[in-house]
Amino acid sequence: MKKIPLKFCIMITTVALAAMLAGVWLAVTYRENDSRAMLLPTQGMALFPDPKSLSDFALTDHQNRVFDLANLKGKWSFLFFGFTHCPDICPTTLAVLARARENIAKSTVGAENIQFVFVSVDPNRDTASKLRQYVGYFDASFVGVTGDNAQIASLAGQLGATYRVAITPGVENYPVYHSTAVFLVDPQARYHAVFTPPLDAEAISRRFKVVRELEGNNAA
Amino acid sequence: MRWRHPAVVCLIAALGLVPAAGKAEGVSVREAWIREAPPGVAMMAGYMALRNNTSQSQVLVAASSPDFETVMIHRTIVKDSMTGMEHAPQIELPPKAGLLFAPGGYHLMLLNPKRTLRAGDRVDINLEFRSGLRLPVTFEIHK
Repeated sequence: MKKIPLKFCIMITTVALAAMLAGVWLAVTYRENDSRAMLLPTQGMALFPDPKSLSDFALTDHQNRVFDLANLKGKWSFLFFGFTHCPDICPTTLAVLARARENIAKSTVGAENIQFVFVSVDPNRDTASKLRQYVGYFDASFVGVTGDNAQIASLAGQLGATYRVAITPGVENYPVYHSTAVFLVDPQARYHAVFTPPLDAEAISRRFKVVRELEGNNAA
Repeated sequence: MRWRHPAVVCLIAALGLVPAAGKAEGVSVREAWIREAPPGVAMMAGYMALRNNTSQSQVLVAASSPDFETVMIHRTIVKDSMTGMEHAPQIELPPKAGLLFAPGGYHLMLLNPKRTLRAGDRVDINLEFRSGLRLPVTFEIHK
């Protein structure tokens, strides 16, 4: 085996050290500047430096009421796209979100100004009454919404949520594929941040607190 | 695989002394649980830590239960940034190795429960291996 020259080792070590120092410098600088683009210490969340305003869409909630852009204004919204015939990822995520909500409610941030929205991409099977039973099981405050395909696509598209419903004639349990991220929309109905798996209730509530501290009253 | 790390293997070996949820001919199961389903949902997922104590590979080929109409071995996958489930027709457990069925990965998909299952209830699921081995496992429903 060819021996790695000492010079090369030194060079690699230098580059690695420089990168580490640059990382520390960046983190400190962003923290000092109170910038939204602050690099959070661990992975799992992306905060957008320039939150994108969402445009109108029209869905229906689990009580058969209209759920549109106006429902995203005035509070922070956590949105997750899924379907109720989903034995693994959806209940796991909703249980995590219920715990995150509990943490937020208990913290100084409080839960008065937040809502959790489960968007079903499977309106064919997920009726309002089905959604009511489903989301209510995880947390009484959770909102379940769905609607016609074009309207779901409108909201999903604006958040970059992807999904595919593989309806197969004669197959009751057709597969549905969907993104696993949790999208955070701010009280001005702007797409503000995204939480990516692996999702963890403590991390979500902690990071949400950081977002609120960074925002101060700007977005409230 | 991280389960092959010597420390993990030792730990699992030590845990093996504790009575397992189900045990037969060298394949053992621990922490067998099913997530309670929200009302109106007829699809559940079962999770467990499987351990092959034998010196031969054991291939899990099927599972069945008197409490569910259908039991399938599934795996949650991520493809094109989307998650979905795929049927896993068989899963090989290498000799002296463990395999975890956990949220976001392998799970037993349990369809149409024949009775209402609430946290604390127990159900029996039979695991079938290609070698002909049948392993009855008791799963507990958890929130």
